Amino acid sequence: MVHLSRHVLQASLMLWGVSIFAFAIIHAMPADPVLITLVEMNIPVTPENEAVLRTEWGLDRPLIEQYGAWLWRFVGGDWGRSFRTDLPILSEFLQRLPYSATIGLGGLGIAAILALPLGFAAACRPGGTVDYLSRALSIGGQVIPAFWLGLVLLWLLAVELRLIRPFFGGAAEQLLLPTLLVGFYSIGSLGRVFRNELLAITVQPFFRTALAKGLTPETALRRHALRHALFGYVAALTPECAWVVGGTAIVEIVFAVPGISLFLVESIAARDYFVLQAYVMVVAVWMVLIHGLSLILRALLDPRTRR
Amino acid sequence: MTRRLFLAVALLATVCMFTSTGHTADRPTINVGKTFIASSLDPGEGSVGWALTTHGVSENLYSVDRQGKLVPNLAQSVTTVDDHTFRVDLASGRRFSDGSPVNAKAVANALVRTNELNGRARATAGKMTAKAIDDLTVEIKTEKAVPLPTALLAEWAMVIYKAEGDEFVFTGPYRVKKVGPGEAMTLEPNRHYADADERPNIRLRKFSDPQTLALALEAGELDIAFGLPVEALSRIKARDDVVVKSFQVAYQYMMFINTERPLLGDPAVRRAVDRAVDRRQLAHAVNGGTPATGAYSSYFPFALREPRPFDPDMAKALLEKAGWKNGSDGVRERGGQRLSLVLYAYPQRPDLLTFQPVIKSMLAKVGIDVETRVTENIAALGKSGDFDLALWATNTAPSGEPSYFLNAFLRQGTGYNHSRYKSERFGAVVDRMTTTGDPAERAKLASDAHAVLFEDVPVSFLLTPDWHVGLSKRLSGYEPWGSDYYIIRPDLRVTE
Repeated sequence: MVHLSRHVLQASLMLWGVSIFAFAIIHAMPADPVLITLVEMNIPVTPENEAVLRTEWGLDRPLIEQYGAWLWRFVGGDWGRSFRTDLPILSEFLQRLPYSATIGLGGLGIAAILALPLGFAAACRPGGTVDYLSRALSIGGQVIPAFWLGLVLLWLLAVELRLIRPFFGGAAEQLLLPTLLVGFYSIGSLGRVFRNELLAITVQPFFRTALAKGLTPETALRRHALRHALFGYVAALTPECAWVVGGTAIVEIVFAVPGISLFLVESIAARDYFVLQAYVMVVAVWMVLIHGLSLILRALLDPRTRR
Repeated sequence: MTRRLFLAVALLATVCMFTSTGHTADRPTINVGKTFIASSLDPGEGSVGWALTTHGVSENLYSVDRQGKLVPNLAQSVTTVDDHTFRVDLASGRRFSDGSPVNAKAVANALVRTNELNGRARATAGKMTAKAIDDLTVEIKTEKAVPLPTALLAEWAMVIYKAEGDEFVFTGPYRVKKVGPGEAMTLEPNRHYADADERPNIRLRKFSDPQTLALALEAGELDIAFGLPVEALSRIKARDDVVVKSFQVAYQYMMFINTERPLLGDPAVRRAVDRAVDRRQLAHAVNGGTPATGAYSSYFPFALREPRPFDPDMAKALLEKAGWKNGSDGVRERGGQRLSLVLYAYPQRPDLLTFQPVIKSMLAKVGIDVETRVTENIAALGKSGDFDLALWATNTAPSGEPSYFLNAFLRQGTGYNHSRYKSERFGAVVDRMTTTGDPAERAKLASDAHAVLFEDVPVSFLLTPDWHVGLSKRLSGYEPWGSDYYIIRPDLRVTE
């Protein structure tokens, strides 16, 4: 209980620090949301028109007062209104979150599941065909730009082959390609992580003993290495999970998915302060949650870490 | 008896169901892709009024027609009482999409509500009050003087609607059937608008990336793709199953010349810059557009007809006469000072970035050195005045009348006067525009104002861009016009 309380206190302090940092950095950005909005709306930049928006958005108050007011409202569930759309930010996030979560978590889930057999097969025969395939996928995920691959997939599957209707088909049809694309960018690296975790165990004395008892490498890996390798695998999944919320901007833009990341990109251009601050806080809370979940999972897999 | 009554009611209900849904069931549905979509249905919020008008959902009392003329829409006429007061006579027989009549009370409520809630609606007239004089007459009072009320009523924020709690009812040819999921809308014809049965249903979707928009058209998923990227045009035009239509818009590309900079204080240098720019090359660089004749797109009745001249020899002569002699590296000098200028553009308008090297090359040919820079926030740069030349794109006649641009961008002391232009002669001409509502007289005054501008050159008008719309074969009869204001219109028909 004391342990949990300490973790909660640490997380709260960290989130508070993030809120100050995010507020300061975002307000230091070299552009004025009031001027951007006036130009976008074709409204003359007069002192009166500027003053109207500044007052409406609370930007005429001292920074410390702005921060205090924003934090108080944010914690109370009032995230303010978007400068750009004039809509409540919390409801915008809640509407968009299912899209981002589906393609982010869905893609990562597919990758996390497929990476296990891929990494296992690669570890069974290092230097074999599957090992090379997992390496190619890993390198491909690093070097192929997401927007390029996304457009190529659209062109091939939707334009040339007409196999899919990614924009006006059903929800599953619309989210299939972006989900698979997100999965593609994780499967190779996760497969390599799992392979390496397994291979690290093959040099252990207990594993050699298992082989000496006549077990095949596949059986020995399955019986004696899998659980140990999963420990490292879960640790590697944690940072992958971190970017799932809000890290899929390119995929959302290319496939016209109305998710959080797309909202973020449009808000950056408009210097939509409240949206940007809310986004940073959402990502920070998400990372804290994932970190906590990772600690629990690792404790379940390895009793030594429970203390 | 009870059974017979039940059967009769059931039969009647079945007949009613078939008669009421019969047209809808047969009605085709078209898919429309745009780079923007209304974020809500409340015109009191942000730019919702404009977005809903582009969707064919909302309308104004006045609008701008295909020829660029201000024409009555829900209104019949406007009578000016004094500088701050005018009366609007409404057209009779117009209805909201729920069937209720568009009357003076509803119009007054809509205008006052938007004016109170939406700061953008107070930009021209300040605070506004409105009251119904009779069923079809509204009297409107404004905080600021409004010389041309019809233009005010055509502004994008001034749409007419009924607010009933969280529900909003509009008057346009379409009504919103469903919002979402995501950034999408389903529209159906407004049954209380003329020729409703001839219009298709619409599924509307936002595309943030123009390349994706183009691919969606090529995939056969879109019937209208509004805002195709220039680089995809040749590929799409080669297809048999789609049609591309390009049209001139009310936006203008221009270059502000900072009259307070030491090198540009001399009008001769500004005139040289203006003469050295070949607008046809600029059009070629961005694959379309028309060399500018002045501040307005040439389809407006008050636009000038002659393209701005390209005369590099004249430009050189002007610079020579002003004392700028060719230096050893081809850049002109005077008293040891090089004729070197900084030209800004902003990434939100990619065409302007394309212009930068082309203009640099043109000005180099007459001996002017140009350093190109990009800024994220052109408005802040304009306000600071820390530039020599700044490329700009704007809709110069958003409500179909010529004084808006001249007043907002070139009058001394106004917010957009990035050139820091000061001219009593120009101010006097523009002032006279506020005293007349006669279109011919206003066009003449706009021409007079241009004559002063061409002499002083605080701004160089460059190009009227073309926008491109991709259409499926069954929408090939659609003709785009009106920039991004009137995209889904009453005349939308499926032709095949």
